[in-house]
Amino acid sequence: MAIETPCINYTGSIRPISLGAGDKSVTVGGETSYPFYTFEGAMPHPPRIAMEVYDMPPTDWPEAAVTPFKDVLNDPVAWAKKCINDYGAEMICLQLVSTDPNDANRSAEEAAQTVKSVAEAASVPLIVWGTGNLEKDTDVLRTVAEVCQGKHLVLGPLVEGNYKKIGAAAMAYKHTIIASTPLDINLAKQLNILMGNLGISDSELIMDPLVSSIGYGIEYVYSVMERVRMAALTQQDEKLQFPMICNIARETWKTKEAKTAEAEDPKLGDAAKRGITLEAMSAMLLLVAGADILVMRHPEAIKLIREMIADLTN
Amino acid sequence: MSAQKYKVSFQPDDVTVEAGDGDNLLELARESGVAITAACGGDGVCGTCKVIIEKGEVDSLPGMQLDADEFAQGVRLACQCRVKGDLVVAVPEASRMAAVAGRRALVTAEEVMAVAGWKYAPPIFKLYLELVPPTLEENTSDLTRLERELAKHGLDHYRLDLGFLKKLPSVVREGDWKVTLTVLKEACGPRLTTIEPGDTRARLYGLAFDIGTTGVRGELLDLNEGKVLSRGVEYNGQRIYGDDVISRIAYCTKPDGMAKLQQAVVATLNEVIAEMADRANVPAGEVSTVTIAGNTTMIQLLLAIDPKYLRLAPYVPAASLLPPLPAHQLGINVPEHVYLYTIPSVASYIGGDIVSGLVGTGIYQRQETVLYIDIGTNGETVVGNSDWMVSASCSAGPAFEGGGISCGMLATDGAIEGFGLDAKTNRPILATIGGAKPRGICGAGLISIVSGLLTSGIINQKGKFQSESMNRIRSGSEGLEYLLASAAETDVSKDIVLTEVDIDNLIRAKAAMYAGYQTLLKSVGLSFNELDKVIIAGTFGSHLDIEEAITIGLMPELDRTKFFFVGNGSLLGARLSSFSTELIEAGRRVARMVTNIELSENGDFMHHYIASMFLPHTDSTLFPEASRRLNALSKGGTS
Repeated sequence: MAIETPCINYTGSIRPISLGAGDKSVTVGGETSYPFYTFEGAMPHPPRIAMEVYDMPPTDWPEAAVTPFKDVLNDPVAWAKKCINDYGAEMICLQLVSTDPNDANRSAEEAAQTVKSVAEAASVPLIVWGTGNLEKDTDVLRTVAEVCQGKHLVLGPLVEGNYKKIGAAAMAYKHTIIASTPLDINLAKQLNILMGNLGISDSELIMDPLVSSIGYGIEYVYSVMERVRMAALTQQDEKLQFPMICNIARETWKTKEAKTAEAEDPKLGDAAKRGITLEAMSAMLLLVAGADILVMRHPEAIKLIREMIADLTN
Repeated sequence: MSAQKYKVSFQPDDVTVEAGDGDNLLELARESGVAITAACGGDGVCGTCKVIIEKGEVDSLPGMQLDADEFAQGVRLACQCRVKGDLVVAVPEASRMAAVAGRRALVTAEEVMAVAGWKYAPPIFKLYLELVPPTLEENTSDLTRLERELAKHGLDHYRLDLGFLKKLPSVVREGDWKVTLTVLKEACGPRLTTIEPGDTRARLYGLAFDIGTTGVRGELLDLNEGKVLSRGVEYNGQRIYGDDVISRIAYCTKPDGMAKLQQAVVATLNEVIAEMADRANVPAGEVSTVTIAGNTTMIQLLLAIDPKYLRLAPYVPAASLLPPLPAHQLGINVPEHVYLYTIPSVASYIGGDIVSGLVGTGIYQRQETVLYIDIGTNGETVVGNSDWMVSASCSAGPAFEGGGISCGMLATDGAIEGFGLDAKTNRPILATIGGAKPRGICGAGLISIVSGLLTSGIINQKGKFQSESMNRIRSGSEGLEYLLASAAETDVSKDIVLTEVDIDNLIRAKAAMYAGYQTLLKSVGLSFNELDKVIIAGTFGSHLDIEEAITIGLMPELDRTKFFFVGNGSLLGARLSSFSTELIEAGRRVARMVTNIELSENGDFMHHYIASMFLPHTDSTLFPEASRRLNALSKGGTS
């Protein structure tokens, strides 16, 4: 007897959003089905990976994460080039950790100059990520927006407390923004509505649901992302029909499980393999939950995820 | 029932009505608007409802209160007569009620939705007796003399308080053997509570209270005429020990904590009593009964019953149904003989205040499906009709009663309860209760202001000011604030402002309410559109603008004609219960009938709550019209 495969009736789709400028620009989103349900709908733009670049040498990375970039840690421009030339990065995510008031507290102007040089050296789309400090991010990202006019950067995170000021600058200087909310479908939707009311175009918005690593509540992240996609695709919730970005690398590599050296706890096994696996597995889960952009760190983990994406989309 | 119809004519009113075979004459008179006194409520005890049957036939027993001569002259007790033919009935002056039919006097705006079809019969009545004085030959006890007269009124079995006996000897002599008894109607029979010299029947007063977590509201009632003589309101003195019931319960764990809370609320009651007595010119010493509706925690604290188990799963109250209790012993400033009635509760978080509202608005007798919403510090919601009722409760916080709002106040004179913006100057136009200069903002004002600021683009859908550089927005001690009235324009000599924190408090409060009824309806498988009526109770203002309540997402977006605002439903029920033992009984039935669901056990609630913390709501499909208006506004380019 023939069995009819049950099919989900999708009534909505994710907005395709074009990032960056020029011939290396990238489009994300556009899905008309759940992630990788290509038997039910289309995934015209496969998920993309943005490789991480820090604007100052990282101090808390485990050795395994540092090794591939040893020679470029002091130079964000060289670092970005290495990611593109050696590891085939399609996007760069520049983490402005040096602007943290509790750390180096570099000024907005300095940060903007760094961003500008990276943007000029790297032809791929550039994501610029602040430190999460409300006031400092406002200052830094506004300046970045202005200094890098015309680069069509992706700026984030914009939160309820600073979306208006950063959003206004992003609109004025034509950048894409990342709307970030703490793990709640309603809060995510509310911020997207506010962005719309502010005048942010639907084609310049990416959502950040706030993510965590395996072992640190990723189940909850998964469930929130899944619900966002269900609302967007099956309940025509227009205010949730945006691509999602997951800043996952820093979450996995800061965990005790990724940082503990083998010598410290031999039964945990090889530290490099452990960190890479954690990053790759966390990223894989997020892809299945609906991630369109993953911010990743280790070339080996990235390779594994690229293979997975290729497997699932072909 | 026979279909036979008779004509009954009441004189001298000259009112003729149709009656069915066996209809009760007293009821018939009342339904026709003919005022006949019946102190005992038609139990055939007091003998005050005498009428003369001038023509026609009734079924009636002679009754102890009528002597043979009277009976021969056609005098009957209206409450004991059943119509058996066409009648002409004369109502003597002595039997006429002071006011035009007691029930008519009750009808105020808020009572449009009030319960119907009940008999006016307060739980207490006065009985005037003339005793036979003793002589040396016949010197039986004072009480025996009293009992002989009581027997003539059919009161063979009664209960007696010691205080009554103590007064008896002096009072009978002071009154020259003419006395008035106060009789409490209990389920197990009458209780004689006090005796006064002479005929004091014309003075029978009661108190009705709603003890809210934030505010205490009372009414001084004339139980002969069935009307409100004066009203009073004060903040609940327990407020200084915590804003909500949970913090009050927690305070009870401190040494003397419960005693302090008990004394605080009693002090507030006494304050309100003094205020009302003064206003009505009726001394508190003349009060004969007290009826109180309150949430379960408030009632247990009033009675000094440790409320700690109310907040521990499975959330069990000490008692749902309490017997009448001596009010004076609790410290309430009324005479020693006065008993306190409390309206029964359903559960720990569905108290007598809700039962009172359900009785007062008669939901238990309606066929149509009603959503009853009590907007207060505890947001309680009940859905149902005469066949079933399900309730839920959530903590909304004190914002609706002006608590936690920088310039908040109770809904009394001078409270801003309406807000608009002058189209030309963009200056606020304020409406206050009583029309005086503003003193602060009450709940209705808060709803109106937030709605107005939202629709004029001054705040966004999260309740945050759109821009710091707008007219009348300035930086205050709590962040950005909107200037409603400058000190010179007020009656309190200080600026009246609304802060972002205030707005946030209102948003939380309205979100808890909306999420509460959303979750409740979902749990019984109903949608908002299936509701026939939405009855809104609350003490946040003298009126509620439904349009504004929908704009901020406090009320669901439904056909506006489905909404009815009844004001303080709890106090309404307490008042009506003071007027009728039937409604006291109805309260008991309702309390047993309601099924409560615990929102804290419901996973949907939190989701609905976060979704509701937006103006009007995160899900715009629930508020299509309100959302469309807001969209049109943002397209208009106010950002």
